[in-house]
Amino acid sequence: MKAKDLLLSCMPLAEHQVKELVQSYGVPVPRYLVLEDGGLPRRLPFPYPVVVKISDPQILHKSEVGGVRLDIKNRAQLERAVSRMRQDFPGKAVLIEVQEPLGVEAIVGLIYDSAFGPSIMLGMGGILTEVYQDTTFRTVPIDESDAYEMISLLRGVRLFEGFRNIRASKSALVSAMLAVSRLGEELGEHIAQTDLNPVIVYEDRCVAVDAKLLLRKRGSTEQA
Amino acid sequence: MKRTPSNLDALFDPRTVAVLGASRDPSKIGHLVFRYMLDSEAKLFPVNPSAGEILGHRCYPSLGSIPEDVDMAVLALPASATPQAVRECVDKGVKAIVCLASGFGETGSEGKRLEEEIKKILASALPEMRPRFLGPNTLGVYVPRRRIETIFTSRERNPRPGPGGIAFISQSGATAVCIMEAAAAVGVDFSAFVGIGNKLDVDENELLDYFAADPETSTIIMYLESFKDGRAFLESCRRIVPKKPVIVLKAGRSESGAKAAALHTGSLAGSDRVVDGALMQARVFRAYDEEELVDLARALDHGRPFTGGRVAILTTAGGMGVIAADLLESRDRGVGLKLAPLSERGRAKLRSLLLPFASANNPVDVTANASNDHYAAALEVLESEPDLDAILCVMQFQSPFVDERLMDIVTDWFHRGEKSIVVTSIGGELSQRALKNLTESGVPAYPSIWRGVRAIGALHKRGVWASANSKR
Repeated sequence: MKAKDLLLSCMPLAEHQVKELVQSYGVPVPRYLVLEDGGLPRRLPFPYPVVVKISDPQILHKSEVGGVRLDIKNRAQLERAVSRMRQDFPGKAVLIEVQEPLGVEAIVGLIYDSAFGPSIMLGMGGILTEVYQDTTFRTVPIDESDAYEMISLLRGVRLFEGFRNIRASKSALVSAMLAVSRLGEELGEHIAQTDLNPVIVYEDRCVAVDAKLLLRKRGSTEQA
Repeated sequence: MKRTPSNLDALFDPRTVAVLGASRDPSKIGHLVFRYMLDSEAKLFPVNPSAGEILGHRCYPSLGSIPEDVDMAVLALPASATPQAVRECVDKGVKAIVCLASGFGETGSEGKRLEEEIKKILASALPEMRPRFLGPNTLGVYVPRRRIETIFTSRERNPRPGPGGIAFISQSGATAVCIMEAAAAVGVDFSAFVGIGNKLDVDENELLDYFAADPETSTIIMYLESFKDGRAFLESCRRIVPKKPVIVLKAGRSESGAKAAALHTGSLAGSDRVVDGALMQARVFRAYDEEELVDLARALDHGRPFTGGRVAILTTAGGMGVIAADLLESRDRGVGLKLAPLSERGRAKLRSLLLPFASANNPVDVTANASNDHYAAALEVLESEPDLDAILCVMQFQSPFVDERLMDIVTDWFHRGEKSIVVTSIGGELSQRALKNLTESGVPAYPSIWRGVRAIGALHKRGVWASANSKR
């Protein structure tokens, strides 16, 4: 199946919808605010710097179309960024969220596999995900020891083990993986694919800064 | 251990067998199957309206005319004649049907229609009277212990394995028969073979559960191109694997490469990584070719799993020790285990027992001048090493002072020692004979260093999986 056909057969959700969903299962996401069509609130409920993104089911790959503004440090920049988004993407929701610092980037995903049903993926994340293809899959649900084993199977495992004094918490990542596994267990039949990429992992926590989800077409037996 | 009754028993242990399409013509499938089945203890009924007598056995004009109950009916008939034959089987109360013909769902819509028709006929029987249906498009079953056999390739051309502990479930019959032939040639034996063909009724999951309960089966291997119900398969494996190892050769890996790739997860799932992960999650071994499938089965069926990961190499040739050490320790081109440092005491003992130019460090090189006694002495020292889990015996027959008695020495330690032992020997006739002897005594023995090292790796993995499992 071509990507286009897939998009036609599987309904995507907007980023803020996906974040709300995964957050309800216990995946940490950055603090965020959604502007549907109203204006900016007088004060943001979280500190700068922030990120402004377009959040719409039709726009899956935001950065390619200029739908992401990073590193917004003050009110003036924020107002400019929001009004540009409004201009470029009229009628679409705008997502403003805390810009998380750099860290070790993982990807956690779900896929509906035609043979094994809902399955979870862990990999080294970020923009080079598909270059290194450092990933491993399990069917859901997974338990804690499955999650730790998945991390141990990545070539990038050393980034979670103190390589060059980098601090990235395995247990924080594991708890996010278990949350995604619960999501897959409960709703996996309805989900064609989910990407949480990157999930940025720090010394004591992790956070999913981007999230995409495609719903399975009702009654579809096809693999995504 | 007693077998719990199953309605698949009629496939593997039938008391009465009818061969529909039995033939007097030696070139016909219906002849071969009947002739081979004559070796079994089962009572045979050839069915053919026009044959009169086959190999001294009176032919029955129809299934219905057989005066006894029929456990198994083998259909050596064309696809088009199958629905009618299945109807007769239902009427007769046959317990299991083996459908050898091709020309069903694998060929197109007409074949699919035939399969649907057969399903309907089977469904028309009362559930407790419903025959089990193996195939179509299968070579059927082979049970060496009972000489139950529906494989219709020539025994003379493709010798069959003898009775052993490995059960082989295969989606391709011809492939499995070749694999078994090659295995038999090096001394590997089987408890049963079953070809699932188009899986119209009996599928791999049910057979997996069957062999899990079969006291004659200690290891289960599978050749699969698709999973009928992947989730159920994993559930079964999780239950079975603590008792019996399961090894799967899942082919057709690139098929999913064409999968949709809107998101990373979908694109990365491409080259069947989900299968990889799911099998590992269920602690199922995955083999990537036919050689590995049988190699792992041999290792896991008889070998001793271990957890420590500390290995010694005992060799008669220095270079082979180095090659083996590389393969043992490398993560990328090997199995990522550790060569164990030997104890001071052990090394002193080796120095006193071996030839002056032998190596008393790991790899222990007894040299190409060593005798049987040197090898035996070194093995004994290694067996009493405290921090050692496994020994790779690299065994060559260059020295004029070693002979085939070396086999007995190793076999003896394999059975009474505490370390996991795997043997490799590369070479011609002498090596091959030695390997076959070892294999027949249950010692995992391979004609290449890598295959031996890989077996050690599998035994370690099995040990680690088992111990993690017991801690859960």
